[in-house]
Amino acid sequence: MNQIDRRTFIRQSIRTAVAVSAAGCLPTLDLLALPAHAADMPQLAVRKGQDVPLLVRETLSALGGMTNFVKSGDIVVVKPNIGWDRTVEMAANTHPEVVKTLAQLCLEAGAKQVRIFDRPCNDERRCYTQSGIRAAVEEIKSDRVSLEYMDRRAYKELAIHGGQAFNRWEFYMPAIEADRLINVPIAKHHSISRLTLGMKNLMGVIGGNRGRLHHKIAESLTDIASVIHPDLTVIDATRILVANGPQGGRSEDVRNTETLIASADMVAADAYATTLFDLKPEDVSTIVAAARRGLGVMDLRQMRMV
Amino acid sequence: MRLSFWTSARRISQSFCLAVFLWLFLQTEYRGVDQLAYPVSLLFRIDPLVALADLLAPGPFSWQILWPALVVVLLTMLFGRFFCGWICPLGTTLDGLGKLVGRGRKPFSPGWRRVKYYLLIVTATATLFGVQLLGLFDPLAIFLRSLTLAVYPAYNYGLNRVFDLFYEYEVPVLSSAIKGSYPVFRDHLMAFYQPIFSLSLFTLIIFLVILLLERVEHRFWCKNLCPLGGLLGICSRYALLQRTPQKLCADCQACDSLCRSSAVRDAGHLRSECLLCMDCTGFCPEERVRFGLRKGTENQLAVDLQRRGVLTALAGGVMLAPVVRIGPVTHEQNPYLIRPPGALPEEEFLQRCVRCAECMKVCIGRALQPALFEAGPVGLWTPLVVSRIGYCEYNCTLCGQVCPTGAIAPLKLPEKQKNVIGLAVIKKDRCLPFAKGVECLVCEEHCPTGKKAIVMEEQDTLVDGEIRRIKFPRVVDHLCIGCGICETRCPVEGASAVRIINEGESRRKRSGVSAGPYG
Repeated sequence: MNQIDRRTFIRQSIRTAVAVSAAGCLPTLDLLALPAHAADMPQLAVRKGQDVPLLVRETLSALGGMTNFVKSGDIVVVKPNIGWDRTVEMAANTHPEVVKTLAQLCLEAGAKQVRIFDRPCNDERRCYTQSGIRAAVEEIKSDRVSLEYMDRRAYKELAIHGGQAFNRWEFYMPAIEADRLINVPIAKHHSISRLTLGMKNLMGVIGGNRGRLHHKIAESLTDIASVIHPDLTVIDATRILVANGPQGGRSEDVRNTETLIASADMVAADAYATTLFDLKPEDVSTIVAAARRGLGVMDLRQMRMV
Repeated sequence: MRLSFWTSARRISQSFCLAVFLWLFLQTEYRGVDQLAYPVSLLFRIDPLVALADLLAPGPFSWQILWPALVVVLLTMLFGRFFCGWICPLGTTLDGLGKLVGRGRKPFSPGWRRVKYYLLIVTATATLFGVQLLGLFDPLAIFLRSLTLAVYPAYNYGLNRVFDLFYEYEVPVLSSAIKGSYPVFRDHLMAFYQPIFSLSLFTLIIFLVILLLERVEHRFWCKNLCPLGGLLGICSRYALLQRTPQKLCADCQACDSLCRSSAVRDAGHLRSECLLCMDCTGFCPEERVRFGLRKGTENQLAVDLQRRGVLTALAGGVMLAPVVRIGPVTHEQNPYLIRPPGALPEEEFLQRCVRCAECMKVCIGRALQPALFEAGPVGLWTPLVVSRIGYCEYNCTLCGQVCPTGAIAPLKLPEKQKNVIGLAVIKKDRCLPFAKGVECLVCEEHCPTGKKAIVMEEQDTLVDGEIRRIKFPRVVDHLCIGCGICETRCPVEGASAVRIINEGESRRKRSGVSAGPYG
C-alpha cells in the first residue's frame, strides 16, 4: 500500500474539492435522470362520446384513472392549447370542458396545485377569455386551480443534448419543474407540420422567437420534446380543424369527431390522431422524427389499445 | 396665508378631477370585455377646444359625443374660467409640481397673455381652412399625450424593474410581500404589456418645458400660451360671476403680486384672465374679497388684443392652410402610412384627429404609434399602425370606441373585420422560402381571416444544386385586411420579410371599384 505524505494528501484533497465544486457549478440539467420511457408497448385510450366531461372521465379511467399519473401532493401543470382569440366552435383551442374536467380529476387525485397556462399567439387576455377556458376554470371554484398568465421572468435557457436543430433554447421553468405535466392539445390542420398535435402543443411552454422553429419543424419539435416530457397527453378531438389551421375561424373547416385520445406516450397519441384526418403517422414528419429519436412509438400495431 | 373655504374647495375639486382622469386613464385598457365599460375619453368630451375642432371639420357636429363640452362653454359664460382653476388636469399638475421645479414670482411681461388668443385665432382659422392644429396645443391633449407616451411607460418600466429585482434576489419578508402584490399591480395599476412608443422622449421634453415655465411665473402656460384658456377667456368675458373689490385697493395692493393670473389690475378685474383659484378670498388681509353675481354691465375690462395682432393672427391662419395643403399627398408619398381601422379618409382624418393619444393608449396589440413626419408636416402625434412593433388584433374594436372626435369611426366587429387598412406584401429577397430555400409559414399560420389571406403554395425549386419541393407564401389580395400580424411575427431578424403598405385601404375614396384598387 502506497503511503502518502501529509503534503500530498492536502494537495490532493484540495484538488478534488475544487474539481468537484467546479463540476457542481456547471449549469447542466441532467436529462438522463428524467423518467425513462417504457420499453414495452404504450397504452392508448381512445373514446368517443358527446358528453365531454363524461368522455374525459371514461378515457382516463381506461388508462387506470388519474391516480396513475397524479400523486397526492403533486404540483400539476395542465397545458392546453389556448393559442388563438377564437371561440369554442372554431376548434382553434382546447375544449374548455376538457380542461376543466382534467383539472377536476387532478384535484380528485390529490394534486396540491393545478396550474393551467399557455403562451398564445394572440393577446393572452383575449385568448383566455374567448376560448371559454377562463370561465370554465373559474367554475371549478377551487383555490388549488389557477389559470395563469405566463411570467416573462420564468424562462430559462437550457441545453438540448443531442439537439439536431438547436443546442439551446429558452424553456418555461414552471412547466419543467412541475411534478406532473399534462399535455392537452387540440387536433388541427397545420400547413407545415401538416397537423398540430401533442408535440406542437409543447411550443406553448418555450420562450424565444418561436417562428424560427418552423425552418426545420420536425427536428426542432423533437429537440423540444427531448427536454420536456409530458406525463400524460390527452388529445382533444371532440371537434377538429381540417383546413385553415392552426387558427381557423370558419365553421366549414370544423369536423365533429367527438373523440378523445390519451396516452402516457405523446408520440403514440399523436400517431393515432393522424387517422382522424385520414392520414398515416408516417405522413407527419414530426412524429417520424420523434419516433426515430426514441421519444415514443408511432407504429399503431405496437400500441396496446385500452 | 389663511386657507379660505373656497380655496380648499377648489383644491379638493382639482384633486378629485385629477384622480378621476387618472382612473379613467388606467381603465383605457382591455380588461376582459370587448366593450369598454367606462367613458374613458371623458376628458376630451368636456374639452371645448375639441368641440371647436369638430365644429370646424367637415361633416356634422358630433352632438352625441361632444355635448358635455358645450355644457362647459355654457357654464364658463356664467361663471368664468372655472375649468382652468378647478378641473383642468394640466393646470392641477402645474399647481402641484410648481413648488418642486421652483416657482417664478416676478410678474412676466403682461403683453404675453395675448399670445394665447393669437394662437387660438391662428389654429382655429387654419382649421376652418382645412388644417387642424388645435390638438397640438390643447392642454388636455398635451396632458394625456405626455401621460400615455412618456410618463406611463416609464412608470411601468420602473415598477417592472423593481418587481424583477425582488423576483431575482430573495430578500426576507420584503420579497414575498412585493411578489404577492404583483398580480394586483399587473391587473389594475399597470399596463399588461410594457407600453412602447417611438416619441416618448420628444413628448416628455415638451411636457417638461411647460412644467419648467413655472420657473418664469406661476401658470405661465395657462396665462400666456394655452389656446383653450384663450377660448374660455373669450367665453367668460361677460360672465355673471363678479369679484369685489374689482380694483386693487389703494391701501394694500397684495393682489398685484399674489394673484397667480395677475387678473386684478388698477383698472379693474380681468374676468377673462381670472382662473377662479379663490386664493384672494384667503390672502386678503382685510378679508374684503367676495365673489357674487354681477349687477348691470359696468366694468367690462378685458385684455386688449390689439387690432393689428388679431389681423396678423387671422392672416397667418388663412395662409397656413393652403401652404400646407399644396404639399404632395402624404399617403401617396409614404406607402407605410397606415391608419387604424375605421379611420376617415386621410384629409378628413387629419382635420378631426386631436392627437389625444387615447387610441394609442388603448391599442391592445401596441400597433399604434405616434407619427413624427411620417404623415406629413401637420401629422405630428397622429396614430400610425406600425406593424413591426405590433399588429391590429382581429377581434378588437377598442380604438374606435375611445376616439373622442370620430376621426376613427366606432366600427362594429363584423365591419371592422372587413375594414381594409392595408395590404401585406412579401419581400422575396428577404422571405426565407424565396431567399434561402428554407421552410417557413409563420405569416400564414397567424393570418386571422377565416379563409386565410396568406396561402402556402408548393413548388419545385432549385436549392444548392438540388431540386426541393418547398412551400411558398402568397398573399390573396382580396382577403387581406392589412392587420399586420404577419409583419409583427415574421421570424426574420430586423426588418420583416412581409410588410403592410396602404394600398387598397377601405377609407380611400375611389370611384367605381368595389373591392380593392384593381377590383
